[in-house]
Amino acid sequence: MGCCYSSDNKSEDGNKQEREPLISPNPPSKPLNGGTSWNPGPGSSALSNEQALLSSILTKTAQNIIDVSAADAIMVEPHEYMDRARQYSTKLTVLSTSLPQNKALALPSLTSQPHQVLASDLVPYSDVQQVSKIAAYAYSAISQIKVDAKEDLVVQFAIP
Amino acid sequence: MESTLEQHLDDTMKNPAVVGVLCTDQQGHNLGCRGSLSDEHGGVVSVLAKQAAALTKDPTDTPTVCLESESGNILVRSHGTITVAVHKIAS
Repeated sequence: MGCCYSSDNKSEDGNKQEREPLISPNPPSKPLNGGTSWNPGPGSSALSNEQALLSSILTKTAQNIIDVSAADAIMVEPHEYMDRARQYSTKLTVLSTSLPQNKALALPSLTSQPHQVLASDLVPYSDVQQVSKIAAYAYSAISQIKVDAKEDLVVQFAIP
Repeated sequence: MESTLEQHLDDTMKNPAVVGVLCTDQQGHNLGCRGSLSDEHGGVVSVLAKQAAALTKDPTDTPTVCLESESGNILVRSHGTITVAVHKIAS
């Protein structure tokens, strides 16, 4: 079985498990500064200010980083997997009955007098050509859409 | 980005006979729409084009589906990975 589990919390609180993030935003292990602490020099207020500033920057950075290497892969037992699948499908069944029915997704402007439509002229070939051209232009416009990645989502940190 | 497509849809709507246009992907996700065709029609449009294409064995033969009515037609046509529907009223 693959890893489809996000937490080692084995409690029966299903809602909590479903809503937990895949990766904990602040893993407790692996301190980012390598575990070393700086000792400010005696009586140097400028240095301690600098230290405070530095540590606040470090804290902010640590809050914004998701350490993917610290995220443990947790295996789910087969029977647990089956239990969960059953639990989810039961929930879905309950939800689908309580949801309001969607309105019919009918395309607009269908006819109530088919004989008129069937007796009318054929669809102009120019219309067919026009829609073909519109589709070709739209395809070329969509092919110009590209994801412009400004920076990497995952970066390596050299931790001493 | 998608501004080219949006511009293309706007330009299509400038045609006085066109009252609606919709662009959808193969899964029926709406990529853009104007006028009488809205994002909820994306699924129907993409499936119509897909089913029409399944009628022919020639993969290069792309059919155009036309839904006719007394007041106008809805033409559905695929191109590559997208499907376009154009609602035209009788001029």
